[in-house]
Amino acid sequence: MAGLATTFGSGAMTNSINELDHAQVVLVSGSNTTEAHPQVARRIYGCVDRGAKLIVIDPRRTKIARYADLHLQLRPGTDIPLLNGIMRSIIDENLVDDLFIEMRTENFFAMRDMLLQIDLDQVAATTNVSKCMIRQAARIYAQAQRSVICYCLGVTQHICGTSNVQSYANLAMLTGHVEQEFTGVDPLRGQNNVQGACDMAALPNVLPGYQSLDDPGVRNKFKQSWGVELPKTQGVTLLDMTHGGSVWSEGFEQLPEPIRAMYIMGENPMLSDPGIKHVEATLRDLDFLVVADIFLTETAVLADVVFPAASFAEKIGTVTNSERRVQLMNQAITPVGNSRTDDKIIAGIASRFGYDMEYESSAEIMEEICLLTPLYGGMYHDRLKGSWGLQWPCSDRTHDGTQYLHKYSFTRGRGRFEPGDHVEPAEPLSEEYPFLLITGRAYHHYHTGTMTRRSHTLVREHDRPYIDMHPEDGKRLGLQRGDMVQVDSRRGTCNFTVKLTDQMAPGELYCDFHFHEAPVNTLTISCSDPVARCPEFKICAVKAEKVAL
Amino acid sequence: MTGRYLLAKDHLVPLLRKIAKSNRLVAPVLNEYGDTLFSHITDLDSAAIDLAHQPQNSLKSFFFPQTEKLSTYLVEKSPKTGNVRYNFYPHTVENQPTAYVGVRSCDMFAVMYTDMTFLHNGERDNYYQKRRDNAFFITLACNHPFPNCFCNATRSGPFLELGYDLQLTDLGDRYFVETGRSRGMKIVEQMGQFFKPASEADRREQFQLALEARGLFQRNVHVELASKILQEQDEPVGIISELSSRCQDCAGCAYVCPTCTCFNIADLPLDEESGERIRSWDACTFAGFSKMAGDHNPVQCESQRVRKRFLHKLLHDVAKHGRPSCVGCGRCVDICFGGVDIISFVDRVVKTIDHCRDVD
Repeated sequence: MAGLATTFGSGAMTNSINELDHAQVVLVSGSNTTEAHPQVARRIYGCVDRGAKLIVIDPRRTKIARYADLHLQLRPGTDIPLLNGIMRSIIDENLVDDLFIEMRTENFFAMRDMLLQIDLDQVAATTNVSKCMIRQAARIYAQAQRSVICYCLGVTQHICGTSNVQSYANLAMLTGHVEQEFTGVDPLRGQNNVQGACDMAALPNVLPGYQSLDDPGVRNKFKQSWGVELPKTQGVTLLDMTHGGSVWSEGFEQLPEPIRAMYIMGENPMLSDPGIKHVEATLRDLDFLVVADIFLTETAVLADVVFPAASFAEKIGTVTNSERRVQLMNQAITPVGNSRTDDKIIAGIASRFGYDMEYESSAEIMEEICLLTPLYGGMYHDRLKGSWGLQWPCSDRTHDGTQYLHKYSFTRGRGRFEPGDHVEPAEPLSEEYPFLLITGRAYHHYHTGTMTRRSHTLVREHDRPYIDMHPEDGKRLGLQRGDMVQVDSRRGTCNFTVKLTDQMAPGELYCDFHFHEAPVNTLTISCSDPVARCPEFKICAVKAEKVAL
Repeated sequence: MTGRYLLAKDHLVPLLRKIAKSNRLVAPVLNEYGDTLFSHITDLDSAAIDLAHQPQNSLKSFFFPQTEKLSTYLVEKSPKTGNVRYNFYPHTVENQPTAYVGVRSCDMFAVMYTDMTFLHNGERDNYYQKRRDNAFFITLACNHPFPNCFCNATRSGPFLELGYDLQLTDLGDRYFVETGRSRGMKIVEQMGQFFKPASEADRREQFQLALEARGLFQRNVHVELASKILQEQDEPVGIISELSSRCQDCAGCAYVCPTCTCFNIADLPLDEESGERIRSWDACTFAGFSKMAGDHNPVQCESQRVRKRFLHKLLHDVAKHGRPSCVGCGRCVDICFGGVDIISFVDRVVKTIDHCRDVD
């Protein structure tokens, strides 16, 4: 998010998902699209059927990678050198869009100077991708009129995540593949409403709609509507919250005062955050912990107070998807038992604090969002009802929403080239910890399995933690299909059932984090990108050995 | 003997109101989100009965719910021996007479087909039978097939010759009514005030519409030819793996299919001492459907995921029941976002073989 915000001025998918249908080249990076975004994957299949070329950049030979015209199976964490190599080839072959760079961008000379220093042999050695494939990718991507980049967490969940994203943005600007229909840079957002959460300022440094906390005009607008003075200080990021302020806080921003109480809604950091031992220590050190969730999660167990929250089917509200589309969710059933909707829980707490939030309905809350958030200015419930929703920016009632961003000019004015250098992973492999572990998500489960592991059909489909390993590595460790394997990092231990598959490169392992029986985030490191504070979930050093039965 | 009557359109709702006095009503209803679904009607005046669109669901869930409680279990101590054991107490299905209105021929045919699964194979399924026993059907002939319909190719429409209690044909301002099974005749007798005898001209008009409807299908699907090819030889190489690679494993096709009846049974504990045994819809495209002990799976899911489903519909059911179990409703075509539907399979089978013949 921070990566696109600094280069383009807006941290969201520039295109609409439907535009993929008309792309000539799709470059997919760090995305297991068929499993994580099947609705996007089917459009990629569709446009390939119509003759489009598909390039996949991924350390794993996923289903979409096997379907690709070109699969660049890079060494994990080497996106920046790979992209620099591709861009260098584009310059060498004179496929640069000079007019676009001249009219729409800035800082190109710094970029060009850096690229001219790049040595392709060096790139090939660092990334493990051949020079020939790098050049081919450059030609395919740059020569087409309509090339789209789709990327996902394989790009962002690195200590250099922001710089990774900027590299993809650089590539798009270098060839003029942005600011138009059917061509752009598209981060695929994970959950149904992670975009909406960002839009509504579930971020430490902005107000809803990415309005600046430092802008007195903006602060005044909110003050007028809410009747309170807004704090001037920025909040802290999730990782600083769950790792800061405890005895484990080494390497994290020292908070001026330790956090003493937390109110966690629908989140299960005891499985989903890196360095679970640190998280647990922090949560246990709190004076007071409140958790609102639909089930008693691993995190809720530690809470002083648990609010039973209503599920998606029991409430009315909107969600915002990857393509900035705000959609109305309709209530199907009334809240079961004593559960309450999130807004009722929050309003209840606020009124105990002496501040009454008197909203009659979800629609009234949306009216306030429309009033205070220019991006959402015309997103009234009555307009969203009975339709597929509206895409922001949508300034007022007469605005039909925005299919693709940066038409005629970038949100920040000129797109800014941000040259990037290779950053070594936080934890290098060693003799003792020779395997590189990549973590991700599986098809049949959602996040920490709070909901999906309660469905007996989904559990039957995927019932235990697996780890993927290359058959050669398996042979060396004396493993056969179905054997148990113990995986240790410097921080923890987990046991998995092994799956031997050539989807993996030798020396690399892959597992998902859905199972509390194998809390994968006891293995991962807490190091994160310095700007976005997104943790390096994709790389840590581990060792593996067969579990004797 | 089939009777032929006329029912003025204005009189349909009054007729249903009379029927609803002693029956539950199920009909296609347009909901506030713009979807037409077969739904229970509790209030005839507020429900928007929609006979112009194909309902997105079939009648399957009314006889065979997506999730159904079969029994409750209690962990109890035997007073005699003192041993703790699981005792199961079967769940009884309510048994209310229900009128299904506006059912199109494909869906009526599908009900008759699922009867073969649940009622004609040795042991009868009590849960299904209870719901089925007290059902009667006022069907609606299809004058205008929908874009993905192909019931002409599966011989299950667009007009019915049997199975219905009353079949309505839209003649503009009135319905042409045919009585089929005895309950239909009884309705006409008991509520004669709504019905007028049809004339020979009305009958000819209805016959003409039935003929015209056959010419209005937009899809030309060679179901019988595909069945025949599959009987004679293995399915052509590559088709299954091509379609399987597009399958996203959501089971939407099996869930919307009116004749897919596979289910799984699970025991769900409610607490330490009690729980429920439920059954829920299953699908042969799921990997877990055929997974065996030790994680062995006779089906290669990535390349053969959809094989069982298509061969079951077009080959195995033909061998067992003499006809394919596809009724041509087109719902799997509408729902699959990967284009992995039965039409694309049939088309590919027929095309490949044609191609081979050309080469010969």
